[in-house]
Formats: sequence, structure tokens, C-alpha cells
Amino acid sequence: MILRALILASAFAAASASAQGYQPYPYPPAPAPAYPQPGYPQPAPGYPGVQAPVLAIPVLEQDLKLKAGSNTVRFGRDSYVLTPQSQATLTAHAQWLIMHPYVNASIEGHADVRQTRDYALALGERRAAAVRNYLIASGVPPQQLQIVSWGRERPTSDAVHDATWLQNSRVVTVLKQPPQQLQPWMQPQSWPQPQPGNP
Amino acid sequence: MRFINSTSLFAVAAFVAGTSAQAQSGGQIVLAVPQFPTPRNVKTDGGETGVIGIQIAQQIVSDLRTTRSIYPTGPENLRHYTPTEAGAPLYPNWANIGAGALVTGYVQARDDGRINVVCYLYDLKQRREMTRKGFAVAATEWKRAAHRCAGAFYTAVTKRPGLFDSRIVYVAATGSRMQPVKRIAIMNWDGTDHSYLTQGEVTVTSPRISPDGERIAYMSFAGGMPHIRIMDADGSNDRQLLQSNSMSFAPRFSPDGRVIAFSMAVDGNTDIYVVDANGGYPRRLTTTPGIDTSPSFSPDGKQIVFESDRSGAQQIYVMNVDGSGQSRISFGGGANSSPVWSPDGDRIAFSRWNGSTIGIGIMSATGGDEKILTNGWQDEAPSWSPDSEWVMFQRTQQGTGTGSLLMVSIGGGEPKAVATPQPGADPSWSGVVQ
Repeated sequence: MILRALILASAFAAASASAQGYQPYPYPPAPAPAYPQPGYPQPAPGYPGVQAPVLAIPVLEQDLKLKAGSNTVRFGRDSYVLTPQSQATLTAHAQWLIMHPYVNASIEGHADVRQTRDYALALGERRAAAVRNYLIASGVPPQQLQIVSWGRERPTSDAVHDATWLQNSRVVTVLKQPPQQLQPWMQPQSWPQPQPGNP
Repeated sequence: MRFINSTSLFAVAAFVAGTSAQAQSGGQIVLAVPQFPTPRNVKTDGGETGVIGIQIAQQIVSDLRTTRSIYPTGPENLRHYTPTEAGAPLYPNWANIGAGALVTGYVQARDDGRINVVCYLYDLKQRREMTRKGFAVAATEWKRAAHRCAGAFYTAVTKRPGLFDSRIVYVAATGSRMQPVKRIAIMNWDGTDHSYLTQGEVTVTSPRISPDGERIAYMSFAGGMPHIRIMDADGSNDRQLLQSNSMSFAPRFSPDGRVIAFSMAVDGNTDIYVVDANGGYPRRLTTTPGIDTSPSFSPDGKQIVFESDRSGAQQIYVMNVDGSGQSRISFGGGANSSPVWSPDGDRIAFSRWNGSTIGIGIMSATGGDEKILTNGWQDEAPSWSPDSEWVMFQRTQQGTGTGSLLMVSIGGGEPKAVATPQPGADPSWSGVVQ
């Protein structure tokens, strides 16, 4: 009896809904799934297709420096060997990157200004590759990392004295916003314009 | 007057100018350069052809005054002649001008808007033609035709290539050291016709001009990844050389300009490749796990000299263009890098790190016979003059880090400054078209 009343009631509700007439607009798309990771760019409310990162890259970089002690590892002249100190820093980088899988890292290698220009580019790349290989071995997914060499084009220290030039032999972990992948809710939509006179 | 201007403004011209005052003595050939006639005075983009004829004669005189072996006179105070006489001089009429040789020629407007420039060199004593050149050029390009005529005359007299049509590409650096602004600049060998080819929005390095001076390969950080780009010498037609996303750098043209040798870095390993200058699929020449970079072709195009740290430190190696027969040629101590083969094929210029300074050196193309030419704090990036007599390089000042261009004679001596509007780096000196 109760079941019968329920069925009747739902049928009545459906009938009244359809009797009420048409929907003027299609339903808005389903909301984006909730992402568990902080720092993942969420769709901004009201603006489908526009991403607003919850945490900006500079904030995340501060966090990385705080947890790992530094975003830089240093090398001797001509060397691409990771010292124990560098390995400790990079292990912390790896843990941080594993905790933040939705942030990419650009591993930027540099050489000191007393290398010739071509060799400096090659040496920066070799150092960056050494760091990337260490991070991958520590569990960071390879697609989260890219490497680039600046050669000797971006010295960190303005002075070029014998005592300071070696400071430029370094690899810096630079965080990057991942390239936007087009999500279903980001697909461009054409909304029908409300016609004047229609309710 | 023009000559005095050019020496005071451009130190490049100064180095060979010294002896022009002792004109008649010292085995110089006195060369008469009357103004070039024109069959019909026509207005063109570059001015009236009659005026161009005067300017070409002036330019030839100006070019040849910078040499030790030719003393040019004119175009003032010399008799005029007709275009017909240019190809068949009336020797008796030129007998009393006190010159040993005579330049004639003419300028003629073409139907397509360009001009014909024809020039001859005659030996007045033996009454014979020594050489001739003819060009169809845009009317605004008359100066290059004049440079090439002067170069041909210099070659006919001395059997050496003239520098007059050669050009120099370099990187002009402004801004701070940590945020530098780098632009590729081009100028004539004597510092005239200076212009910028890139505008400094991205960092660019190591421009290399093709031997004919028509194209420039360089490395750019555009898009965040260092890669080789190639453009025409006027900055147009700029494009990526390779279709690859790998990091590529250190480009260098082959002597015929058809092939570019370069370095590509993949997973921490840098090797040398060659590719067609129009792009295409690169061919790998070295396979060692060390860094192989800075390739430079021999003038016959059959060998490549390059640097490699496969032995532990950077040293200089030679291989055939197919990658076979790699052998080390630098055994003079220190770390040796950025080798460049001289246009006459005899020598290789390089830079040497001796533990505290970097200097420019030269060695025989087969190795040995090494000589260090400079003793700055950091002298690097050598580039040869077309006549293989000079090496231009970049000097970095200790402390300030400011770069400047200098050139040093292979005979040694104090380097001469090459005047540039801004601090300069990475010079590349073109060849000359014979």
C-alpha cells in the first residue's frame, strides 16, 4: 500500500514537472571532481575553462626551500658529481615532488663564467641530467621533470673574481605550472542566448 | 678625408693603415682610380648612375688605402674616359699620371631596376689586363660591388684574399651581468654599416656567419630550450634549423655553406652532428660518453676539428667529415677548447685554460708548433680573418666581466681593439667571395 502510494506520488511529480514546460537553458556541466591535492589548479567558480591555482608557484617554491633547505646544488669546476650534501638536498627535493605530483620541475643547469661558451652549455646539460637521474632514481615520475641548460648565460653572482666564479656551477630546481590539459569541463561551450519575451 | 675619418672612428682600420704615408717608396704599386663613367645618367634607387660611378671609385680608393702593398690615387685630378674605353684603355693617355696600374670600369642602369657594375685592372707598364669583375646588383648595393672590385684587385696584386667585402657578426651585450640583454649585430670588417639583427627579447649566443656572408646560424633560448636558428644576413627569414626538441648549439657552416656541424645534448651526453643547412635529418659523428662540441670544418670540407673532454680535460681532436679517424692533436698542456680552422688550411686557433687564465693560441693543422698569442684574464672565441693573418677574439675583463672584441696578428704583438658600440662577444668573421 505504501509502495503503491510512493509510486503514485513520484508519477505525479514527474507529470507535474513535465507539465511545467521546457527548460530554457541546458543544465550546466557537471562540477569538476574534487582533487585531493592542494596546489592543483582548480576551475575558478563561475568561469569554466579558467584555472586559478590554489597556491601560486612562488609560494610552493618557498615551501620547497623550507623543506629541502635550498633549491640549488653546487658543483666543482668541470664536475657533475653529486656530493653527499647535494644528494641530501636532492632526496628532499624528490620527497617534495612526490608529495606534489601536480607541480612540474624544470631542472636548470649552469656552468661558471670561466668555461668557454659551448662547453658551458654542454656541462650545464650534463649536470642537469645528473640531477634528473638522481630524482628519478628517488621515485619522481620522469614526466614531472624536464631539463634545460643555461650554460654560463645566467651567472648568480655579479662579481667575476677568482674567489666567486665557482658559485655559478650549480643546478637549480625551478617549479613550473604543468601544461594545461584540456579537461572535459574545459571544453568550449556555446550557450543558447535567452530570447527576449521568453520566461 | 674619408680615410682619416674611418681610422679615427674604427680601430679595425687602423691596424693596416700605418704605411700609407710613405706612398711611393717601399715597393708599393701606385694605382690610378679615375671615376667610373656611365653610358646614360639614369636615376635609380641608389642615386644617379653618374654619381654612383664617382662613389664606387672613392670606395675602391678608400678600401685599398688600408693595405700596405697598393697606394691608390683618385678619383680627383684624373682624366675622364668613356664607357667604351673602360674595356680597351688608350695607354698613351694614361702614361704620364705616375701610376703603375689603372682601374677602369662603368656603371650602367638595367631595365629591371638594378645596375651593372664592371671593373678592370690594367698593368700600365706591360699594357695588359690583370683582372676584371662584373656584377649585376641592386642600385642600393653599389658599395658591395665596389668592395668586391677592390678585393679582386688586391688579390691580383698580392695573391691574397682582400678583406673589403667581409663582414663581422658578434653579440652585443647590454644590461646587467645577471640579466643581460644580448643582440646579434653585423657590421662590415672596418666597422661601417653596423646594424642589429635581433632585438634582445631572448638571449642569443654564438652567431656564425656563412663563408659567403649571406646567412647566419646562431643559438637562441627562444621558448626556453636552447636551439639553433638560422637567418639571412639582413635578419629576415629567421627559422629553427632542426625539427627536434633536443638542446642544440655550437653551429658552424661548412666552407661551401651547404652543411652545418653542431652539437646536440641528449641525456647528459653531448655529441657532434651534421645536417643540411636547409634542415633535415641530422647525422651523428661522435659517440663517446664525453662532451664533444665546437666543431669547425677544414677549408677543403673533408675534416672537422672539435673539442672533447673524453680524456678528462678539454682537448682538441680532428676527424673526417664522416666521423672516422678521430685523433687528438693538442698536447701542449692545459685545457684546450673552441678550435677554429684557418681559411688557408694551415693553422688552428684555439683557447687555452692554464689553471688561472684563458688565452688565444694557434697551432699547426696537424698538431704541434703551438704559440699562445694573448695573455688576458679570459681571451676566447677565436675567429679567423679571411686572409688567415689575424685572429679576432673576445676578451673579458676581470672584475667587471665586460666583454670586448680584439684582434691579434698571427705573428704576435699587442692585440688591437675592434671598436663596437656596445660590449661585444662571440665574433664571427665571414669569408670573401672570390
